[in-house]
This record gives sequence, C-alpha cells and structure tokens, in this order.
Amino acid sequence: MLTAIKSTIERIGERTADQVESAGRLGVFLFNLVSRLGMFRFPFTETLKHIQFIGARTVPLILISGLFTGMVIALQFYDTLIRFGSVELLGAAVAMSLIRELGPVMAALMVIARVGSATCAEIGIMRNEQQFDALDCMDIDSYHYVMLPRLIAAIISVPLLTAMFDVFGIGGGYIVGVLIHGVSDGAYLIGMADTIVWNDVLMGIIKSALFGFLILWICMAKGFFLHVEQKQAGAEGVSHATTQAVVLSAVLMLFVDYIVSSLML
Amino acid sequence: MTSAPQGIIEVKGLVSHYGKRKILKNVDLSVQKGEIRVIMGGSGSGKSTLLNHLLALLKPTSGSIFVDGVDVVNTDRKTLSKLRQKTGVAFQSGALFSSMTVGENIKLPLKRHTRLDDHTIDIMTRLKLELMNLAGFEDLMPSELSGGMLKRAGLARAVIMDPKLLFFDEPSAGLDPVTAVELDELILKLRDAMNMTVVVVTHELESAFKIADKITVLFDGEIAITGTVDEIKNSRDERIQNLINRRPRNETVDAEQYIKRLTTGKN
Amino acid sequence: MVYQQTKHLHYQILKLTGEVDLHNSPQVRKQLLAILKNGSSVLVDFSSLSYIDSSGIATLVEAFNLAKNSKLLLTIVGAVGAPLQVLELTNLNKVFHMVDSLDDIKG
Repeated sequence: MLTAIKSTIERIGERTADQVESAGRLGVFLFNLVSRLGMFRFPFTETLKHIQFIGARTVPLILISGLFTGMVIALQFYDTLIRFGSVELLGAAVAMSLIRELGPVMAALMVIARVGSATCAEIGIMRNEQQFDALDCMDIDSYHYVMLPRLIAAIISVPLLTAMFDVFGIGGGYIVGVLIHGVSDGAYLIGMADTIVWNDVLMGIIKSALFGFLILWICMAKGFFLHVEQKQAGAEGVSHATTQAVVLSAVLMLFVDYIVSSLML
Repeated sequence: MTSAPQGIIEVKGLVSHYGKRKILKNVDLSVQKGEIRVIMGGSGSGKSTLLNHLLALLKPTSGSIFVDGVDVVNTDRKTLSKLRQKTGVAFQSGALFSSMTVGENIKLPLKRHTRLDDHTIDIMTRLKLELMNLAGFEDLMPSELSGGMLKRAGLARAVIMDPKLLFFDEPSAGLDPVTAVELDELILKLRDAMNMTVVVVTHELESAFKIADKITVLFDGEIAITGTVDEIKNSRDERIQNLINRRPRNETVDAEQYIKRLTTGKN
Repeated sequence: MVYQQTKHLHYQILKLTGEVDLHNSPQVRKQLLAILKNGSSVLVDFSSLSYIDSSGIATLVEAFNLAKNSKLLLTIVGAVGAPLQVLELTNLNKVFHMVDSLDDIKG
C-alpha cells in the first residue's frame, strides 16, 4: 500500500518535472529564436519560400472553410434575429463575429492542421536524419537558417489568410442571408459598414499575427527537441511529437485568444 | 588550460554520460596531422558518442578535448565557428536537406561563408561531384538518390571548403562492396592530394585495414588498443581477435547473475 | 599580393606565389579574366605556388574555358608538389595545357 502511494507520488513528480522541463525548452527555443532577429543577413529568399508554403498553398483551404463558416453563422444568426424581428442586423452580426473572433481562430486552426503538423514532422525528421548536427558542423545557425524564415512567414501570412477567411465568410453570409433568405442586400452590407470599427479589425490582425507566431513556435520547438523529449525513436517519435505540437498549439491558441479579447474589449 | 597539445586531436580523460548511463569511461585519444585514424567498435561501444564529442555536439561530463589547438569544451562561439569552417563532416546517411537539390546542398557552405563568384562556386561544386562519381546528379533531389550516392554527396559537401580535417561516420556501412572500395580509395586520394587529416568511425574491419594509418578500438566505452594495422592484427587481446575473426562474444556465464537477469530484468 | 604580372614574348605571365585559397582566389580570377578579355594568351606560373585550393582550381577552369572560346592559350607552367597533386586528383592535368618551364614556350 505504502509503496503504491509512494510510486504514485513519484510518478506525479516525474511527470511534473517533465512538463516543467518541456516548458523550459519552449522558453529556450523562443529566446534563441528572438536573439537571432538581429543577426546579419536576413534570409529573404527562404522567408519568401515559406510564405508560399504557409500562405499561398493554404488559400484554397481557407477560402472553402471561410465560405462554409460564414454560411453557417449567417444561418444561425438569421434564425435568432428573426425571432426579435431584427434581421437587418444580420450583416453586422456576421461580420463582427468573423472579424473579431471566428476568422482568426478558424484560420489558425486550419493553419495548425495544414502547416503546423507538417512543419513539426519535417523538423522532427530533420532532427532524426542528423540535419541539425550537419548544420552545426557547417557552422550554419539552425535557428537563423531554418526557424526564423518560417516564423516570420507565419506572422506575415496568417493575418492575410485571416482576412481572406473573413471576406469569404462575409460572402457566405451574403449567400445565405440575402440570396436564400431574402434579407435586403443594402441592410446586410451597410449595417456591416456602420457597425464595424477600426478596433475590431485591429483585434483580428493582432490575434492572427500572434496565432501565427504561436503555432510555428510550438510546432518547430516540438520537432527540434524530438531527440530529448520523445521516448520512441524514428517514425513513432515524429508522430508523437506532431500530435503533441498540434494539441498544444491549438489549446494555447484558444487561451491567447481569450487573453487578447479580454484585454481589448 | 592544460599544456600545449601536440596532435591535431588531443583527448584526455573523456567521460560521458547519457542520462545515468556511462557511455565513455576515461578515453584518451591523440591524432597527428595528416594521419588517417579509424575509430572502430561494435554498436554500443561508444564510438558515435566519441565522434559527437570531437564535433563539439555534446558536452562531456569531464575530460578535455582539443581539436586543432582549440579547447572545444570551453571555447567561445567565434573560435568554434572558425574551427568548424575548417572542418568537414560526412554523416552516415548524408544528412542532406531534402528541400534542396544535391547541388544546392553541396554549395551551401560556400554560399553561407564565402564571397566567391557564382561561377566559381558552380565549378567547385561540379569538381567535387566529379570526384565523387556523381557527375550529372547536380539537379536531382536527395530523395532520388540511392544510399551510397547520398553518402558520397554528403562527402562532397563535407570537403567543399577544402577542410584540413575530415570526419567520416560509417563510410562503408550499407554499401555494396564495389562502392565501398571506391569510397576507401577516395579517402586515401583526398588525404594525399589535400594533406587532410581524416578520422573515420566505422565497424567495418576490411575498410579499416585498408585505409588506416592507425586504428583505435573501443569496447564498452573504453579504448582497448590503439595501433597500426599490423599491431591490431597481431594483438593478443581476445576481444580484438574475436572482432577480426568475426567470432561472437563468448563470455563466461555467471549462472546466478544470468538467472537473476532473466527473472527480474535487473543486473 | 598573390600574383605578379610580367610579359614573355606575346604572352602575359601571371605568376602565382604562396597560397591561393578562398580569400584571394577572387583576385586571381579578376586578373586572369581581364587578361584574356584583353585578347592576350596567358601563362600561369605555378613554380612559386605552394598550395591551391578548389576555388583556385575552379578559377583556372573558368579561365581555360574562356581562353578556348576566344581562341587564346592558357598554359600552366611548372606545376609541382601539392598544386600538381590537386590537378591530378581532379584529372585536370589531362585537360589543361601544362609545361615544365618557361623555356618550353616558343613564340
């Protein structure tokens, strides 16, 4: 009995220590990354390449999911607003919820699914194949050469993706509200323009830039420290790290979403 | 600061742990300029760990490591950078970046560290590819190459800056015999023409006997013997004779401990 | 300076001294290409050269090709020791026009 309790306590202690260590590594990773910002010779071509991967190639996914999200929230709002007899608020309600909340969060989730997981797996495989050792031995800084371009690409791309998500969402709302349910298109569009203020847009931009930063930071760090964090080697280690990275970045993203909202509202 | 080291590599009293497990126990190593040194040992002997220490990729528990006069354990970033630009490392499976072509991979160090004209860099890259028998593979992606080709491409990248010191991890592992022999000959040619010091880590006896000036044999994290090819061949150490004659380890069985290991899983 | 330039018959002589490496091979390249672009054949004197790295060799390859295309000559004079071994390693001793000494050069 006593030994059972003891071993349980031991296990809890070990797990806590693991978590603290893991958090510490994320901190170290971030510190190293930020310290490379001032380094000479910014890797422009690399950054552009990753804007192409993170940004351009995620656009179709963003457009489709934006359209459907806009359609479904327009439907929900229409059903609610019609009970109060104020369907003319539909445009404002759809735009407001997209620009301030759903746009950044949904776009970030799409980026996690498409880019975060792929990045973590890629960096994990690079670790497994000794590519980071090779970079060290060639005196090429991994943070500067591999990580920084991806991070900056994400900070630039995710707000742009979010903007596209918003536009297509509003378009989806237009299809459902105006074309299907017959809300007047003047009410839908002008109500929107009258209600949205700059602060709403700013909130969306700040959130999405932060999300882009957060997703790439977590996903790259989980891949980079694969060799110390994962008990299994090889493919299994990569798959574990990727799962952890996706879950952690999604949860942290929602947490940061709340913090920013509460600070800005 | 210890007294001025003589060879291009001087290791004294190196102890290394992985977690709580002791991997290297008091290793001494001295490699002279222009020498081809083979570090041999089976899997788990600690030879890869030793290599990682020589490359300053790991921090030792204790002991000193000097490479080309630089104390790699305690040196600053700048000195280490300089040393690394003069050192080439060929990794076991090439460690090429999958997002770049073979040519881009090989010229990467030149692009990052020199201000040479692009024409010069291109010709240098092709010269190395020719040397490695990889002419015409410049524009392929690493995923389109076989294991042996990847290894040679990795070697091309390792020597693109004409290093004075070359480390090579498992040159012949997983290669067909012909390619393995070609690679051995290439190592000899490189040493002669460029006056390189070469440190090769391997478990392949044949290749070791062919290229080595001196061989260091590691067993369980300790150096069993360092000597010329003949000295190794004539060694009376039973473990080394087993290695040469490819006999499996034939250790005396401690019945009690054996049963204990089997039933409890502990030593 | 890693090179000296003199004349011999109608050739320009570029005498390389000491070591040609990553740091000074761009200088050699500039000079060598300039001579060839001026329409003059060139003798590259290796006799005082103790070391040449692959950036130097690459420079010679580029210059040799330019000379060939402009119907000029690029001849390597007096290669011995390490520089010769590097040429042999890359099989370029079979490609370049090589002579032992300036005496072998005839107008």
